[in-house]
Amino acid sequence: MAAISIRNLVKRYGNLTVVPDLSLEIADQEFVVFVGPSGCGKSTLLRIIAGLEPITSGELLIGDKRVNGVPAAQRDIAMVFQDYALYPHMRVYDNMAFALELRGMPKPEIDARVRQAAAMLHIEAYLDRKPKELSGGQRQRVAMGRAIVRNPQVFLFDEPLSNLDAKLRAQVRAEIKSLSLQLRTTMVFVTHDQIEAMTMADRIVVLQNGIVQQYDTPEMVYERPANQFVAGFIGSPTMNFFPVELRDDVAAFAHDGTPVPLDAAARARLKGAAGKGVLGVRPEHFDVVASGATSAIAVVIRLVEPLGSDTLIHFEVAGTSAIARVDPSMKPKVGERLLMLPQPDKIHLFDAASGQVLR
Amino acid sequence: MDHTPLSESWIKRFNVVQLVLAGILIMSPTAWMVLSSFKPSFEVTAYPPTLILSPTVENYSQLMKMTPFFSYAINSMIVTLGSAGLGLLFGIPAAFAVSWTRISWPAVLTLAARMAPGTLFLLPWYVMFREVGMIGSYTALVLSHAVITLPIVIWVLLPSFDNIPRSIFEAAQVDGCSITRILWKIAMPLVGSGIAVAAILSFVFSWNYFLFALVLSNGDSKTLIAAAFNFVGEGSTQWGALMAAATLIALPPLMLAAIVQRWLVSGLTLGAVKG
Repeated sequence: MAAISIRNLVKRYGNLTVVPDLSLEIADQEFVVFVGPSGCGKSTLLRIIAGLEPITSGELLIGDKRVNGVPAAQRDIAMVFQDYALYPHMRVYDNMAFALELRGMPKPEIDARVRQAAAMLHIEAYLDRKPKELSGGQRQRVAMGRAIVRNPQVFLFDEPLSNLDAKLRAQVRAEIKSLSLQLRTTMVFVTHDQIEAMTMADRIVVLQNGIVQQYDTPEMVYERPANQFVAGFIGSPTMNFFPVELRDDVAAFAHDGTPVPLDAAARARLKGAAGKGVLGVRPEHFDVVASGATSAIAVVIRLVEPLGSDTLIHFEVAGTSAIARVDPSMKPKVGERLLMLPQPDKIHLFDAASGQVLR
Repeated sequence: MDHTPLSESWIKRFNVVQLVLAGILIMSPTAWMVLSSFKPSFEVTAYPPTLILSPTVENYSQLMKMTPFFSYAINSMIVTLGSAGLGLLFGIPAAFAVSWTRISWPAVLTLAARMAPGTLFLLPWYVMFREVGMIGSYTALVLSHAVITLPIVIWVLLPSFDNIPRSIFEAAQVDGCSITRILWKIAMPLVGSGIAVAAILSFVFSWNYFLFALVLSNGDSKTLIAAAFNFVGEGSTQWGALMAAATLIALPPLMLAAIVQRWLVSGLTLGAVKG
């Protein structure tokens, strides 16, 4: 178990800068998820921590030890790969025992550790099988077992759920989470799936173009996104964005001047940004209000997506497509007219140019 | 469409014709060699060729009487196994290194050496080996034949190594393996059939290679293929004995290829199909 400290890390491939200047502290026993779109540098960062990619400049510490240039073999980390990377010619047992044998551990201890990990992951029955005889989910467990037996300082996961079907993914996600609570080891998990990030992480690192956009707890990232990118990336369906501006101290959609129901505090934040900004409203933060509410936004339902637990309705506001999450008991219909009101304490305002949140 | 079965059956027939033609082309010299080895000497070059009526082993007994055939066979075996072993010893790590680093020019260089005519190496080698008094030694023959076997090993194994997902090697690195241990414990077991194919091809090509053995061997270290050349004389050629020798020489590679035929084909196509 160890903390990870990344200081002014730069990673270049020739002329291409993947990570311009990144600093990050991951606490001991913390479960941190790197999330971001493809090419944001999250996997590169994980591979750098693993020792599979060299650092161009900067410092990487695992525990108190500076590990720049230390080979992966000597970092005392374990990694679960996207394609599991099991050794095809070895039985499950040997896959799990391999790293321990390399360390010269006595056979009885290896056996005890392998069987303990296998029991934890419910794969005792497969110990004598080759990886090709296992299903995707079973292989995934073996890959985790191979990491667990090591009892390493740090666990690294590189999108380990992306090859599983949706049902299995949800199951394994929960299992990894409960495993992290049992093992109490520092874990770094890379994914492009914001649901995985939200459900598993103690803290989330949202990355874009190798730059940390926000590093905070899932709740904070969701409720207080630092900028428009984070607000748009975290949450499903994504947050609705509308360009707004102040016209004679009245908030209005920039597109057509329709008034926007914003309170005085929100208007003050807009004023601080020269009267222009982007209003962000999550689908679940629209209230459907009764007719007669003067400040509400009138919309026409374009599409209805019933999800069972709730229903998504698609509509257009001031030339922008938007989605709201409503109670299924409402039984909304396509073509129906509704009055919507963003919940005033849940709205977000971003700077129109920089995308930074307006405070 | 109702004409599909017809055209498919025609394709099948056409394939059979092609195979028969190719078979005749490849097999007829071999068949002629084997048949001739069992004909009396005077019938071997008779025209029109006679069909074998009374097979004789006269050529074989003459071959055994005239030459120390078995000591030549042992020479061939030492040189072939030595050079195939040397090729594997250096070729396996070389192919792995090329696959690992993605630096391919050393492999291309070995291929160029393989493609170059043997005479290019012959004179420098002759001079070098003569200077150190190694002409006629097994070492000189094994070393020279490694020029044949090394590129074979590298180029047969390269696609096999390339085909192993990189993440498996990375997992081994994270597990604590050094590069040499990754080669030994992970990569080599995964390319087992490729190594077998490389070994067999090395054996066959080295066994059949004539030029280096002719020049760099002496009476004691002569290989079978170079010794067989002795039957081609200036005045007269002993065709019967030559055919008997050629038949015996062809036996080990043919038997080897027949035994591992299926393996050979799957090993050769391994690089092309992603598992």
